[in-house]
Parts: sequence; C-alpha cells; structure tokens
Amino acid sequence: MTTAALVHVVVSGLATGSIYALMAISLVIIFNATRTLNFAQGEMLMVSTFVGFTVYARAKVPLVVVMLVAVVAAALLGWVIERVLIRHAIASTPFDVLIITLGLSLVLRSAAGLTWTHDEFPFPSFFGDRPITLGPVRLVPVSLGIIGASLGLMWGLWALFTHTRLGRAMRAVAQNQRAARLMGISVERVYSASWVLASVVGALAGVLIAPVIFLSSKMGLVAINGFIAAVLGGFGSMPGAVVGGMLLGVIENLAPLYLPSSIKHSVPFLVLIAILLIRPGGVLGRPARRKV
Amino acid sequence: MRYPAVAIGAAGLVAWPWAAPPYFVFLASLVVVNAIVAIGLNLLSGYTNQLSFGHAGFLAVGAYTAAIVATRWPGVPVVVALLTAALGAALVGLLLGVPCLRLEGLYLAMATLAFGFVVVEAIVNLEWLTRGNDGLRVPTARLGPWALATDTARYYLAVLVGAAMVWAALNLVRTRTGRALLAIRESEIAAQASGVHLAKYKTLAFVISALYTGVAGGLFAFVVGFLSPDAFDVFLSVDFVAMIIVGGLGSVPGSVAGAAVLTVLNDSLAGFQNYRPLLFGALLIASMLFMPGGIASAVRRLKGG
Repeated sequence: MTTAALVHVVVSGLATGSIYALMAISLVIIFNATRTLNFAQGEMLMVSTFVGFTVYARAKVPLVVVMLVAVVAAALLGWVIERVLIRHAIASTPFDVLIITLGLSLVLRSAAGLTWTHDEFPFPSFFGDRPITLGPVRLVPVSLGIIGASLGLMWGLWALFTHTRLGRAMRAVAQNQRAARLMGISVERVYSASWVLASVVGALAGVLIAPVIFLSSKMGLVAINGFIAAVLGGFGSMPGAVVGGMLLGVIENLAPLYLPSSIKHSVPFLVLIAILLIRPGGVLGRPARRKV
Repeated sequence: MRYPAVAIGAAGLVAWPWAAPPYFVFLASLVVVNAIVAIGLNLLSGYTNQLSFGHAGFLAVGAYTAAIVATRWPGVPVVVALLTAALGAALVGLLLGVPCLRLEGLYLAMATLAFGFVVVEAIVNLEWLTRGNDGLRVPTARLGPWALATDTARYYLAVLVGAAMVWAALNLVRTRTGRALLAIRESEIAAQASGVHLAKYKTLAFVISALYTGVAGGLFAFVVGFLSPDAFDVFLSVDFVAMIIVGGLGSVPGSVAGAAVLTVLNDSLAGFQNYRPLLFGALLIASMLFMPGGIASAVRRLKGG
C-alpha cells in the first residue's frame, strides 16, 4: 500500500468522520439539554434535506438557497417536535423520551417514504468533481469541501457556546438544571434552542453528505454512527464528539484494508462494543461518577 | 375468581384451531412466539430497567441453533432442539450480560443494538453453518413417533411451551429473585444497600431474558420453517420494545397483550407495508404520552374504577 493511497483513504475517512462529528454534536446538544438520546436525529436530517431538495427540483434555485431552505425547515421541525412532543414528557423519565423519539424516527422515515418514495436521489454538490493533485496524492474536492465546511461549522458552534449568552445558558443547563434556573436562565427556552440548533446542525450535515451517500429515506441511519462517534469521544463532550467522529471515520475507512472485507459493515459496531468494554467514558472522557 | 377465567382462556386456546381458518392458526402461533420474547424482554427491561434493542439477535441465535440441531441430527425430539436453543441463547446472554454490567441507560441500549447488528452480520458471513443470505430450511419438528407437520400441531406445541413460559414467569416475579429485580428497577443503590447482589441479579436477568427469547427463537424456526438473516434486523428488536411499551412495562399479562396487539396489527398491515412504521411509531408515541404503563395499567385503572 503506497503512502499516496493511504493519504487518500485517510482523507476520505476524515470527510465521513466530519459528518459523524456533526451528527455526534447534534446528539450531544440535545442530550445536554433534555438528558436523552434523540433517536430521530437522523430522520430529522433526512426530512430537512428532502425539503431542500424538493425546492431545488421544482425551482432550480442555487445551492445556497437550497441549504437555507433546509436549515429553515430543520429549525421549524426541531422547534415543533420539542414543543409538541418532548416538552410534555420531559417530567417523566429519560426512558420515556427515548421511546418517543424512537417512535418519531419510525413516523418520520415512513412519512418521508410516502411523500418522496423510498428511492435514492442524486443530490447536487457544492464542490466540483475534478480531483486535486498534490504531487502523487490525488484528492477529491468533495472530501476536502466536507472537511472544510464541517470545521467552519464547528468553529461557529464553539464561538456560540463560549461567546454568546445563549451558548453560556446552554452550557449552564447542561451542568446543572436547577442551579441554571436559580440563576434566572429560562430552561424551557434552552430546551427549544437546543432542539432547533441540533436540528439545524443536522440539516447542514445532511446537505453536505447527501451528494456522497445519495438522498434517500434511509440516509438517517448515519445518525447511528454519529452516536458511536459521540460515545467514542466521551458522550456529553463537544470536543469528544469531534475527535470521536474523525476517529471513527478513519477507522471505518482503514479497517477494510487490513481486515477481511466481510466484516466491513460491522466495524462501527465492533468499535462501539470495544470502547464500551474498555473505556466506557470515551477516549477523552473521565469515568462517570454516580451521585447517590 | 381467577380460576374460571384461566379455564375459559385455556378452553379458548384449545378450541382455536377448530374455530379459525388455518392461516389464523399460524398467526396465533406467531403471537405465542412474540409473547414469549416480550415476556423475556420485559423481565429485563420492565423489571430490571435494562433496555435492550438487541433481542432480535437472541431470537436469531435461538432460531438458528434449533434449526441446525434439527438438521444435523434428524429425528431429534423437538423438546431437545428447543432446550438447546434456550441454552445457546442463554450462553450468549451471559457473554453479553457480563460486560454490559458496566453500562446503563443509553449505553446499554446502544451496546445491545450493536449486538443485534453483529449477530445478523455473523449469520450472513458464517455460510458453512447458516447458509448465509440463501436462508436455511428448517426440518419438520418431531416429537417421538409423530411429525408436527401441520399448522395445528405446531400451534399446540407453541401454546404448550408458551403456557409453561408464562406460568414460570408469573412465579418467578413473585420469588426472591423477582423482588430483587424489581428493587433494582426502583433504585440500584437502595437495592444494593438492602443486600441485593447487583452484578449477580442483573446478569441473571440478562440470562433469563435471553433464555426466553432463545426458546421463542426455536419455536419461530419450526413454526415458520425457513430462516434468513434479514428477518432478524434491528426493526424486529424495535417491534419487541414496542410490544412491551404498548403492553405495559413490568407486567407479564401486559407482555402477552402487547405481543398479541402488535403481531395482529403487523399482519393486518401486511398489504400496506409503507404505512406500518408510521402506525407503529404513532402508537409508541401515543402510548408514552397518553397511556404510560401500557394496556396492563389501563386495565388495572378500569378495574379500580
């Protein structure tokens, strides 16, 4: 295996890894606010991307507009879901909310299939097809574009979480909801904001990845790898989500080179099982302490 | 009070093959299979509060074990095949349960989900044993001199095994073990402080749950007669979770009711495959919002007035 080929594999691994990282970030944003895993994250991504695609197919608008439409649709979807379904169940156990999001993922996937059929659609890409040649290394613009755009988005999120009132409120709620409420933070507004933000991040990830994996009602399954990425980095931690995503993307792309190809599809799950057994807190995380 | 109801129920189960067309006899066998899985899953999730999204994996282990035993040793009594399936699944449950002791909540749910995926991939790839994607034909179940070749015969087998499993579960939840599992659900720390050996009982819950699902898998193999890996995908595990949510967490009769409702619903929607997940998802959400505790607690409330 030449170095050039290896670089190529690692770069495309980092590209899929960026998407996993974005999915992991959305899951962590919601987990930090509502203390539950959002099983419907992938389906929310899929629906918003489909809405953007419908506008594109009807009106042939530029891609930037498609992205904006997807983002607005995602924001609306996230807000409605939180207000209509999650807010009612938030007083009960996280287990209940988990089941609700599970039901929601079934409903959204099925509804998308009924609206847009279960076929796969080619999705337009922001980035050209002509490979970029750096000496012996040939890189696909899509990979570089995905990595670049994701890094930009992550930087934006970092700025949001460290430099804005809303971001600080969200971090406070993640640390301790009761204390946050006593400090005058509207925890309900943070719930809404978290669902909207997670949904928007998902939609951007969807627009970025759709040209690569095709647009289909099944594309929401990418969220499972997002969850594995979040666990890999230490669930609940944003830097962990980024590191975990990149790591998983690279492992997933490298593993078939060294292992029998028949286990290719199991790689993310084997990674999950391994990390849960060896280091349940994730590579960056600390072992969880339980308070009585 | 209870005995007449049980007697009427038993009479209904015995009379069913005479009253219903053959297809509904087959469907009733599937209800029994799913009810056994739902009870097993409920012992783990409802009683011990360990959510599993991997029970389709245990079902697959049980089904393939029974099918392979029946193929390799023709004429083996069906009871032996079912016992092997139970033991095989229980062993896998032990192997998965011990490392999963460290996990709780979402992590456990995800680890079991991953387990389900890995089992399906293993079945696809172990072609010499499972025939992979081609699928495995299951020989007719034999009990001594008789071959259980008709839907009715297999239905009676399923009902007998199912009744035994229900009886065992109802008794199990009233024993020291059952109370220990309930204590773990309410609070692991309080349970531990009261002298419940957490690791022992959580592993036990996993093993018993896998054992139930293994038996159901064996029955499934003989009832359906043909196994292929895509029958055991993650959506089947989700269906099992839906059964215990709709039926009622922590209730044996609820598990049976949930399995019956969802199996019949699933079958009546066979012609509308695209609407099935829509309806199941809506049902899950609705039970959580409007009927927490499922059918079992709704019935309890009605009785209480």
